[in-house]
Amino acid sequence: MESLRSMLFELQAGGYLPDMFQYGFLINGLVAALMIGPLLGGMGSLVVIKRLAFFSEAVGHAALTGIAIGILLGEPASHPFAALFGFCLIFALLLHWVKSRTSVPYDALVGVFLAVAIATGAALLLYVARKVNVHILENVLFGSILTVQDSDLAILAVVSGICILAMLLFGNNALVATLNPELARVSEIPVRLYDYIFVVLIALITVAAVKIAGAILVGAMLLIPATTARLVTRNVMQFFWCNILISTSCSLAGILLPMAFDLPVPSGASIVLLASLGFVLAVGYNRMRMFM
Amino acid sequence: MGPSISLNNVSLTLAGNRVLDPISVELAAGQLHMLVGPNGAGKTSLLKSLLGLMPHGGEINRHWPDPNGKGLNAVRMPAYIPQQSQFDVVLPVTIEDYMSAIISPRPLFFRQSAKVRHQVAELLEQLGLGDKAGLQLGQLSGGERQRLMFAQALFRQSSLWFLDEPMTGLDTEGQTLITDLIGQFRDKRHTLVMVHHDMAFVRRHADNVLIINAGLEAMGPPQLVLVTGTGVSEVA
Repeated sequence: MESLRSMLFELQAGGYLPDMFQYGFLINGLVAALMIGPLLGGMGSLVVIKRLAFFSEAVGHAALTGIAIGILLGEPASHPFAALFGFCLIFALLLHWVKSRTSVPYDALVGVFLAVAIATGAALLLYVARKVNVHILENVLFGSILTVQDSDLAILAVVSGICILAMLLFGNNALVATLNPELARVSEIPVRLYDYIFVVLIALITVAAVKIAGAILVGAMLLIPATTARLVTRNVMQFFWCNILISTSCSLAGILLPMAFDLPVPSGASIVLLASLGFVLAVGYNRMRMFM
Repeated sequence: MGPSISLNNVSLTLAGNRVLDPISVELAAGQLHMLVGPNGAGKTSLLKSLLGLMPHGGEINRHWPDPNGKGLNAVRMPAYIPQQSQFDVVLPVTIEDYMSAIISPRPLFFRQSAKVRHQVAELLEQLGLGDKAGLQLGQLSGGERQRLMFAQALFRQSSLWFLDEPMTGLDTEGQTLITDLIGQFRDKRHTLVMVHHDMAFVRRHADNVLIINAGLEAMGPPQLVLVTGTGVSEVA
């Protein structure tokens, strides 16, 4: 990373890059965006196909409680990763486990879990806010490129590697299991195991993307680019790559634009707003196509 | 040749309600066994129990004619045609994607090899879906979905088939196609277990009929079990 930063500093000093490239945190943020974009885009495809958008949103919101618990247990307020991952994982696994053992409709069940997680998080955060600088909490909740360190990039790289490996090894079987679970079981595809692997990956992604997208908005970035791509594509290959393109370009632009125009907007918020704009444009394009 | 299937005291209870009273029968290898009975009689539940998809009481065992055999006979994974498959209407998954995902381990976000594409095209052509490979799953009619289910099942090259009302939604041409396929499987002595409501079809094609109504009411060749007429009320 150091050599990349030095190279870009030199290019900026030589006038080849805009002034904002003199800041190391921007370069860290852009590298993070280049990893987060494909990660959220790729996994978002499966989130939408598996109809788990609300679930991933709930896991993202559970991060609120995870962060509060981490700080209470003495983890650094800027990166309480152990508690964040631990709580998100327990939340996601418990939700999935209860789902398979109750007849309550899934959306209602996720709603109950989401409400409990937010209420617990809100109660704990009010207490935690007295102990730490509230801006640090804002950074974790809504994302900030100022806080991205080399260790965060390393975590992102590892999580990205795990997700790519999982997609390469199980992607097709996971799709078949999603589209027709009974047929998949007959074909000896371990449907339940894939579900649990997916749940763990969502928890991992939430932790890895927390610095840039923010704990609260990670779920949105899994959902919005994929929903947009679904509107404008016709097959899985188009859907997957279009999703990654949207997600990555929104992540990069969400970091660069506030810097370029000196806007005091958290990176998570700007990324999600840009993705939402893309969604609105896709809806409009889709409507136009229907009348053409 | 397909296996024989033995059921030993197989029963099914769902949410405290007895769906099937204990059944103990032997389904002979290489035959077409047809499950008939009124709606809600437990036919589909029994079929799913045979597939291992439902938690049931008792024992179900498959006995393969060549336990250590290799080649086609060693393909032990059953082929299954579910009653009616539903797919998300706006999901960007085409028929070709779906078949490729079943056939190939190569992730769908990469271009599939020529061999896989050829295999998919061949299977779809066989089921009369050759010109519909680019259609999304949600755009398929009931009959087309049923043909797709047969296409994916054919890939398995199984000699054990479980079919749950396979003619549902099929037009006359589709029904003829599937009837011919079932005839080919019988010629190859595959074991087939099929839920079906068309008594004329049952009379014409079944080797063995099981009349199910919350349990096994009767079993035997159609000419003995179904005496006359078109309904299961006329059981011998």
